[in-house]
Amino acid sequence: MNKLYLAPSSNTPEVDFDFTMHRLTLRGESYPESAAAFYGDILSQTAEFLSTLSNEDVQVIVQLNYFNSSSTKMLFSFFDRLNQAAEAGNRIMLDWHHDVDDETILEFGLEVAEDFPAIEFHAHALES
Amino acid sequence: MTHEPLLQDINPCFPGLDENLIFFYAGYFSQNIINAIGDSVRLRIGQSDASGSVRRKIFSTFIEMAQNIVHYSSDSLTPPEQTTLEMRAGSVLVTHVDNAFLILCANPVSQAFAEQLTPQLEPLRAMSSDQIKDAYRKALRSETSESSKGAGLGLLTIAKDSSAPIEYGFNPMGNGMLMFTLKATI
Repeated sequence: MNKLYLAPSSNTPEVDFDFTMHRLTLRGESYPESAAAFYGDILSQTAEFLSTLSNEDVQVIVQLNYFNSSSTKMLFSFFDRLNQAAEAGNRIMLDWHHDVDDETILEFGLEVAEDFPAIEFHAHALES
Repeated sequence: MTHEPLLQDINPCFPGLDENLIFFYAGYFSQNIINAIGDSVRLRIGQSDASGSVRRKIFSTFIEMAQNIVHYSSDSLTPPEQTTLEMRAGSVLVTHVDNAFLILCANPVSQAFAEQLTPQLEPLRAMSSDQIKDAYRKALRSETSESSKGAGLGLLTIAKDSSAPIEYGFNPMGNGMLMFTLKATI
């Protein structure tokens, strides 16, 4: 289990999870017909990867322009697992990119930061 | 005997005939159709003078409504028990009236489904925007109910982005089904 790569589609993001480099990147848009089906394998591979770590650094880069309500829920579960890994002694750094005038995505990022304080959260506003 | 239809009969909602109309689609919805018409919705609202924030809210509301049709319309081309690659009937309309964008959707539902929807929708009409945000934050952290094919967050997402209380109705269709309509204002 070195890498999980899924090319972007019109309704799913690029998933570039380089487990060897400890770098997990989600980029694009997310509104699949079934977010549970799309994210199921991504979440289980992430959980498996995180369970192998002890006192290590992981960089998580999220740059999503849009995600629908069911993807929102799956992303929240994803961050919950990352937070558990951080509470177990790993250093999880989350780079949260959002358009400068996109309050919805910034607000969701702030919810994540509030609920999962063990994750080092860095918001980055992008000029649109 | 042939009958030559008038243009209006064919295209009652052609954008060029109605300056307020941004987008209209009625028919079968699948995820592939949503991808395609989503591009068209984005281009149309991109040509309006709406701010980036308003454009994103319109697109989000459109996607939530269209995916609700795919998941829950009672008029299904695919077997009702099929949960992927579903194709179901409904309509979505986006208009620009009096400095507001109105987004409406409609699809048939059973009486039983209407009875499930009403207690989810009616409280949203009475809530302030802060109360809707609180309900959204709670739902984000709760387990998804078994009747939902999404996250149970869709209606809250629509209500959260709507600047006026959402409006909805159920009208008898004559075949035992009810036509469910939902309206958001952005």
